[in-house]
Amino acid sequence: MSVDSPYTHKVWSEGELSKIVPGGLPYPMLSDPGGRIGQEYMVYDEENGVDIRGRFLIDPDGVLQAIEILAPAVGRNVAEMIRQVKACAYVRENEGEATPAGWEPGKQALKPSPELAGKVCEIWSPEMAF
Amino acid sequence: MTLHIGKPAPEFETSAYMDGEIRRVKLSDYRGQWVMLYFYPGDFTFV
Repeated sequence: MSVDSPYTHKVWSEGELSKIVPGGLPYPMLSDPGGRIGQEYMVYDEENGVDIRGRFLIDPDGVLQAIEILAPAVGRNVAEMIRQVKACAYVRENEGEATPAGWEPGKQALKPSPELAGKVCEIWSPEMAF
Repeated sequence: MTLHIGKPAPEFETSAYMDGEIRRVKLSDYRGQWVMLYFYPGDFTFV
């Protein structure tokens, strides 16, 4: 989503994006004229009239699960975005579990409990964060 | 309107470009699916 019109999105898609991704992007390119939606998501920069780099992960119930907002000159880490979707989906499907730092599918999740308090060091170590 | 993790994302409806067409899209169209909503400063920039 950007403040560009859908016609500008079309020109960008047909002129450039379709050369990078055959057939164009497989999801809608949303238009936010005047930054009305960006204001609600707290990413609208009034001085420059643009929506800055905000990323919002929304679950199947329409509930916010993750937010990231970056300076305009800094690009995002797509792999980390995908990891967060997988981790949020995992804890949604496995009630009572939590994914520690650096968790990826296949790595051990935690079951927070009074018994685990003070003993995380027995099952988790810093190298598991990478 | 403020944003909170664990609370509903602000609903919106707007126009969008996809598959050669311009159409209306609502956030609630995606209920039942995971949604990654990306804002960026302008077309012809990186993500």
